[in-house]
Amino acid sequence: MPEFPEWIEVILRSLVLMVVLFTITKILGSKQLSQMNVFEYITGVVLGGIVAINTFDPNSSIIYAIIAMVIWFSIPYVVQKITLKSKAFRNFMEGKSTVFIQDGKIMEDNLKKQGYSTDDLLEKLRERDVFLAADVEFAVLEPDGTLNVLPKRENRPLTAKDLGLKLAPQKEPQTIIMDGKVLYESLANLNLNLTWLETELEKLNVSIENVFLGQADTDGQLYVDLYDDTIAVPTPNEKPLLLATMKKCQADLELFALSTENPQSKTLYKTNSKKLKVAIDKIEKYLK
Amino acid sequence: MTVGSEVKGCYASVKNIEATLQILKNKTQNVESQQAFQDAQQIISEVKESLNQQIIHLTREEPQY
Repeated sequence: MPEFPEWIEVILRSLVLMVVLFTITKILGSKQLSQMNVFEYITGVVLGGIVAINTFDPNSSIIYAIIAMVIWFSIPYVVQKITLKSKAFRNFMEGKSTVFIQDGKIMEDNLKKQGYSTDDLLEKLRERDVFLAADVEFAVLEPDGTLNVLPKRENRPLTAKDLGLKLAPQKEPQTIIMDGKVLYESLANLNLNLTWLETELEKLNVSIENVFLGQADTDGQLYVDLYDDTIAVPTPNEKPLLLATMKKCQADLELFALSTENPQSKTLYKTNSKKLKVAIDKIEKYLK
Repeated sequence: MTVGSEVKGCYASVKNIEATLQILKNKTQNVESQQAFQDAQQIISEVKESLNQQIIHLTREEPQY
């Protein structure tokens, strides 16, 4: 392309190659740098190199650059497709994970195979907040070099399951107001509509323009953050209030049962108090 | 406050509980919690009925005191 001044050519080349490079990376997928295996890493570097050289060197042929890029794109692309299909090929390309600690015992042979010294192992364990190797039930070195650790049962964080607690299921909340604008789609996801939102905002005594961020959970409770941080917004208290009212009523009925002398009324208050207790036990976990 | 008015206050609270449970039942998306609220609402409505009877009974007796 001798008819162009060279600086125009550099601009054109940059634009064309940029588009090609971005398309290619988009198709190859968006794995994080840390998740890439060696092969993907090299591909990325070479593609970048080809583009870098060809953008500012008018003497090199842009056709050659594109041919090279197509090859460096298509082979990794095919490899990627095969890796998805074949487990054996995947093991070869991406490496296999190696067990370092099993049943609380360190596998010295596997350490040696991966070239890890005892210090390296301890360092990796410390990264995982484990300072005593005996605390580990199982540890595995992933192909990307991270060590994943399963501590022994007694060293794992306490969960609700361990305590035998029953918790109400909770789905993800939806963001329904962003920068003072209503997101109708997420509102519809919760089976709610604009009228509901307007009523809720009115209850809080705020206008929608003043809401920076509004989120609602699956129980239809609205949480908002305002632009004006000096205004205090009440948090939803419908559920704790209900629980408190139920407990109060139950206590009241017990009191009536104690204070009345009529045996018929006494039993009536007692049974109702018991019924309320049953109802409280039934829904207490959903009200927390 | 007489026993009658105290029981009436409690009856009002029970009605409030029933209504709140209904609201929560309709608002929640979760089938399991919907069922729990429904069950609780049923129990509360039984309590409400029986308290209502008791109030009628009390108002009949009260003038004697």
